[in-house]
Amino acid sequence: MSAPILQVDGITKRFGGLLALDNVSFEVAAGDIIGLIGPNGAGKSTLFSTLVGLHKPTSGSVRFAGADITGLKPHKVAARGLTKTFQNVALFMEATVLDNVLIGALLREGVAEARTTAMACLDRVGLAHIAGKTANDLSFPERARVEVARSLATRPKVLLLDEVMAALNHVEMEEIMALIRSLRDDGLTVVAVEHHMHAIMSLCERIVVLNFGRKIADGTPQDIAKDPEVVRAYLGREYA
Amino acid sequence: MKPWIWGAAALIAAVVVPSFLDPAGYPIRVLTLTLLFAALGQAWNIVGGLANQISLGHAAFFGIGAYTSTILLIHFNLSPWIGMLAGAALAALAAYLLSFPTMKLRGHYFALATLAFSEVLRVVASSWTSVTGGPAGLSVPYAADSLALLQFKSTTPYYYIILGALVLICVVFLVIQKSALGYRLRAVKENPDAAEVIGVDTTRVKITAAVISAALTALLGTLYAQFTYFFDPEAVFGIVAISVRAAIIAILGGAGTLAGPLIGAFVIVPLEEFANAALSSRAAGLSQLVFGLMLIAIILVEPRGLLVLVSNGIARLRKGRKG
Repeated sequence: MSAPILQVDGITKRFGGLLALDNVSFEVAAGDIIGLIGPNGAGKSTLFSTLVGLHKPTSGSVRFAGADITGLKPHKVAARGLTKTFQNVALFMEATVLDNVLIGALLREGVAEARTTAMACLDRVGLAHIAGKTANDLSFPERARVEVARSLATRPKVLLLDEVMAALNHVEMEEIMALIRSLRDDGLTVVAVEHHMHAIMSLCERIVVLNFGRKIADGTPQDIAKDPEVVRAYLGREYA
Repeated sequence: MKPWIWGAAALIAAVVVPSFLDPAGYPIRVLTLTLLFAALGQAWNIVGGLANQISLGHAAFFGIGAYTSTILLIHFNLSPWIGMLAGAALAALAAYLLSFPTMKLRGHYFALATLAFSEVLRVVASSWTSVTGGPAGLSVPYAADSLALLQFKSTTPYYYIILGALVLICVVFLVIQKSALGYRLRAVKENPDAAEVIGVDTTRVKITAAVISAALTALLGTLYAQFTYFFDPEAVFGIVAISVRAAIIAILGGAGTLAGPLIGAFVIVPLEEFANAALSSRAAGLSQLVFGLMLIAIILVEPRGLLVLVSNGIARLRKGRKG
């Protein structure tokens, strides 16, 4: 295992009286595909938002590519190579698909080059043919893909994917999984929140499980499937 | 027709029109004011339209422009051409400083904060009599016909200078819209969190737009002062006279579009003049009431503005002809 590119150390996040994240720690090695699972409300999306800087952690630290990025604004975190997609999709709805992705590419280049990059990213997720459509006119699965393309356009080192497979059929899910694997082969590190257990088990080398804001397990899919606490909290008996 | 053909046609018409008008008459005065307020609406549009930050305080920058150049002219005999730049710099600084307390505010709260800021400046202008002339206002010193002092007997030179300012501000708007800043403003307008996460420095983008918009607005304040010779705090720092008018002109025409403020100004300013002339002799304030009702009617019919209303109308006509 190479040196960790992302180190999450004792992250706690309180919203008033609610303890959303409780002392969560884990590491991600460069080139990994990590799954993040847990029941609804376990804190998965809050963890992603905290990692990219949308929330300031109450305590704990995040190290990325060797530097402490705790408390940095999201655009600075993105500039260092860490970004995420949004659970319920947060596209710029009145803009075209191309412009959505182009704005991501502007992080590293001018408008003309960004347009080329944006087209390449759309091609990568298989949506080049709808570049001119308005985001508002897309189906939910298409929107999720545009969001992946927009994140890719920022040229991340680590990409946090928040339920990009929600509402996909089996064929689409296989396509997205193939895409994630090919991105990893090109050097991207991926952390994915998903509820589709079959997908996450076949995709990920390692899975981190959250429950009520706490990390309750961290291991290979085989270990996770056998972990009694995980089975009780989330998986149910069928995986045991 | 392609948009640039419309633009070229409008510009040629604007350049030719004064040769048919009495240079000291009423119509060219109304037209000049219309161009001035179109330019004001366009300057507002950079913040209000592109970033959707609805400012109700643009009078602050307009007034800073008017007062700065006029005070410099009165006390130091400085040409308004230079005073204009000083006013723009001061307005840019004011917008920069105002950005920090208003940065996190959205919607109504942002509007109210900007409104409060311009009101503070109006009160200062009314009270600081030794410098601003207080409630009585300031008169631009008489200079007969002088390009250097930006003062003319005829309205025609003002018309062309203000047309030039309008063209300048429209070009700035277009350049921003097509540039990286324009894309980023759009992202900030639609989803600031998503914009940040994909690398947009939302704070910087908003401040940049606010500063450019304020500086351009101040240029217009100076031109207004030179054109009207006289102004008081209400005329340049007024909520209704400037701030609300700038916003309404852009919103009515179509906020965020190049043509929006132009259409808005050409509807509102002549309409206002007409309503004033026709109704103010019957009852004080009646013209304002009628004017307000017309605005409500237009906004109820098509909230995206007249531009959409007109282009939809054209599309329907074409369909009708084909079918």
